[in-house]
Amino acid sequence: MAHRRTSGSKLLMTVLYMVASCSAVPISDLLDRASQGSDKLHSLSTTLTQVLDSHFPPIGRVITPRPSTCHTSSLHTPNDKAQALQVSESDLLSLARSLLAAWVDPLVVLSATVNTLPHPAQSSISNKIQELQQHSKSLGDGLDIISGKMGPAAQAISTLPYRGGNDIGQDKISKLINFHFLMSCFRRDSHKIDIFLKVLRCRAAKMQPEMC
Amino acid sequence: MMRKGVEAVLLLSLLFFTSHAKATRFSPPGKPALTRCRSPEKETFTCWWEPGSDGGLPTTYALYYRKENSETVYECPDYHTAGENSCFFNKNDTSIWVNYNITVVATNALGSTFSDPVDIDVVYIVKPNPPEKVTVSVMEDKGWPFLRVSWEPPHKADTRSGWITLIYELRVKLEGEDEWEMHLAGQQKMFNIFSLRSGGTYHVQVRCKPDHGFWSEWSSTSYIKVPDYFHREKSVWILITVFSAFIFLILTWLLHMNSHSLKHCILPPVPGPKIKGFDKQLLKDGKSEDVFSALVVSDFPPTTSSNYEDLLVEYLEVYIPEEQELTLEESKDLHDSCLKSEGSTSDNDSGRGSCDSHTLLMDKGEAKEGERQTDQEESQTEAQRQQKDWDEEELTYTHEDMVSPDMSSGRVKTWPSVFSPLPQYTLSPLVQRSSLEMAKQHCLSDSMFPPSSTSSYLIQPGNSTKEALGPSHWEFSLSNKQPQLLHPKTQAHSDINISSIGHKQTPVSLQSPALRRTEYVEVQRVNEEDMVLLQPIVCGEGCPQMRQAEDYSKVRGVDSDNRLLLQREVAKEEVDMCPYEDQEADGATESCYTSSDINTNQKPPACSYTATPVQDNRTLPASGYVDTATMFTLPTY
Repeated sequence: MAHRRTSGSKLLMTVLYMVASCSAVPISDLLDRASQGSDKLHSLSTTLTQVLDSHFPPIGRVITPRPSTCHTSSLHTPNDKAQALQVSESDLLSLARSLLAAWVDPLVVLSATVNTLPHPAQSSISNKIQELQQHSKSLGDGLDIISGKMGPAAQAISTLPYRGGNDIGQDKISKLINFHFLMSCFRRDSHKIDIFLKVLRCRAAKMQPEMC
Repeated sequence: MMRKGVEAVLLLSLLFFTSHAKATRFSPPGKPALTRCRSPEKETFTCWWEPGSDGGLPTTYALYYRKENSETVYECPDYHTAGENSCFFNKNDTSIWVNYNITVVATNALGSTFSDPVDIDVVYIVKPNPPEKVTVSVMEDKGWPFLRVSWEPPHKADTRSGWITLIYELRVKLEGEDEWEMHLAGQQKMFNIFSLRSGGTYHVQVRCKPDHGFWSEWSSTSYIKVPDYFHREKSVWILITVFSAFIFLILTWLLHMNSHSLKHCILPPVPGPKIKGFDKQLLKDGKSEDVFSALVVSDFPPTTSSNYEDLLVEYLEVYIPEEQELTLEESKDLHDSCLKSEGSTSDNDSGRGSCDSHTLLMDKGEAKEGERQTDQEESQTEAQRQQKDWDEEELTYTHEDMVSPDMSSGRVKTWPSVFSPLPQYTLSPLVQRSSLEMAKQHCLSDSMFPPSSTSSYLIQPGNSTKEALGPSHWEFSLSNKQPQLLHPKTQAHSDINISSIGHKQTPVSLQSPALRRTEYVEVQRVNEEDMVLLQPIVCGEGCPQMRQAEDYSKVRGVDSDNRLLLQREVAKEEVDMCPYEDQEADGATESCYTSSDINTNQKPPACSYTATPVQDNRTLPASGYVDTATMFTLPTY
């Protein structure tokens, strides 16, 4: 009697597991969706950078901080294609998630201070910052799901704290310069995220060569 | 002193030479400028610069760069691979997500010039090569052809690993056209183009773009010729032909079925001649003597007056002229021309005169006889046209169409014929008062024309004012057809004004009793000039009473316009019309017209004839009407 029950329950479990696995979304589709999100994120940041460039003081070109001073520069990322293709999927995902998480705080600061930004397209910039935050949030959630499917190695995230404070400067020039600098850092990081996810997508889509 | 002078001279010459050397365009090089840097696959990149002026001396260019995190300045590793004024960075020297600070230096014997530095990041300057192996082929989809374009990404771009993601775009145009048709193909490497022109040659080009980068150049053009698929269109034409033939057959059949009614519609039957006593059958039988003998009517030409009714025109058509003026000029001419024109005009239907036919006489103002003739003819035709309105009314009266051209000439068109030597006239007993009045009504509505001031004979509807129009309408029509038919139209030729004068009510009241007491004129004979000679009938019982109350026999006088002014015995200032409706004659005369000057309405209200002057002393019979026939003997106008 008990033997029959355990075998029956096993059977039930098997059936349930199979049903669950069959209805699961393949990871390639998830990655495809994630890469679309990162693509959009990067496009937004590029547009924002160009808007800021249009009203950039000439002096800013000289005294702008170097890109190496981006708060995410401490994260080691591949520098060329050869290196990038050697990175494992888990690491690639981890890098993407770390970078994305590192920009949550700075985006909050930027959206808070955009109203004080002495720029003619201030309202447009403000809207775009809002969009950036939303996309970043949804992409982060998606990557969390994917990492859950990829195993424990993908779960590790490097923390990259933002140390810029709560404002972006006191005077007009420094505000513009700092805002521009932050956006350029974000543009690069969003590009990295995009590349990593697209590489991941092609790796996961071995059954669909037309995607890559 | 001399030494100083020599030194000065030397110095000056030195200066001179140096300045001269400068003047022969030797100078440090101009400032070069980096024009662009491009990476085709995100693994290598190339930078190009534009040299400035070379200063007249051989100039060399050098490119130096510095990476973002180090202060080390490197020189360009490869100046040649990418051509003139370029620097090629191979894979080893290319790092991504790293800012390069690049500067170009131009150096010649006199110095060197630095360009403005440029910061680039390789990942932002990607411009791939055009797609490769573009193939276009014609394929068929259910008989309709379409183009299938396929291509491959540039071989350098690594799309397999996902390092570069490319999207494609292609453009198509027909040979000879200027406009390209663009199609965005996304990431796919194949595209179908439909809706092709049969037999056309197409040009196809493809290009690609990385997800964040620049569009590539267009690939080389591929040509493809679409074969003719006329056979497909041919079948459509065959179908159309068969269908239209079928429709045509149906139409023909329908036409055949309704041929009879169509014939009636398109070619209405022409009324054939009907001659009394003519027997077609006899003619067919071939007995000509019988046929022609039957035609001979014993009583034609009429010698007695008993058959007048059959032969003569019954209706007196009175034209109501438009002109107000009662001019008596051109009488003679008009007289003759009227007669002639009357003869020339002929209608099928009797009584086809119309109240409108005043237009016939409208332009009587012209003194030309021929003109008048043509005018009358023209207006006659116009009147005929206008008569169509009255066809209905006529139909009630008319019987079968009877054309008797000679008879129709007996229609009253002109007054003059009436005026000529008819001593007496009688009203036809066939005329019916009721119909007359009815006819009057008709004419009332029709003849809204202002009385024309022609010099012809016009019976003017009397008056310049419309009120008097009613009672003053005279409807006379002569028709040879039906004795019964009273032509509802009035054709007034004469200058005689039939007007109840311009007076409103009284004329009417006077009119009606006058109507009732109509005089009867009997048609005496038709003379050779187609004039009906009337004679008054001495009324017995059947005749209505003579007008006793009104006696228009007295002539008051002739006015300056040659108008005969009659005077009523009854001492009334208002003059009524002497109604002589039913007058039958060619150019029936109005017996007694009290006419006022239509133009001015200022004529003496006495009964006056605008006709000839004089003869006013003619004695009137006791019946109380004036025999105008004798009055109007002479058409002095």
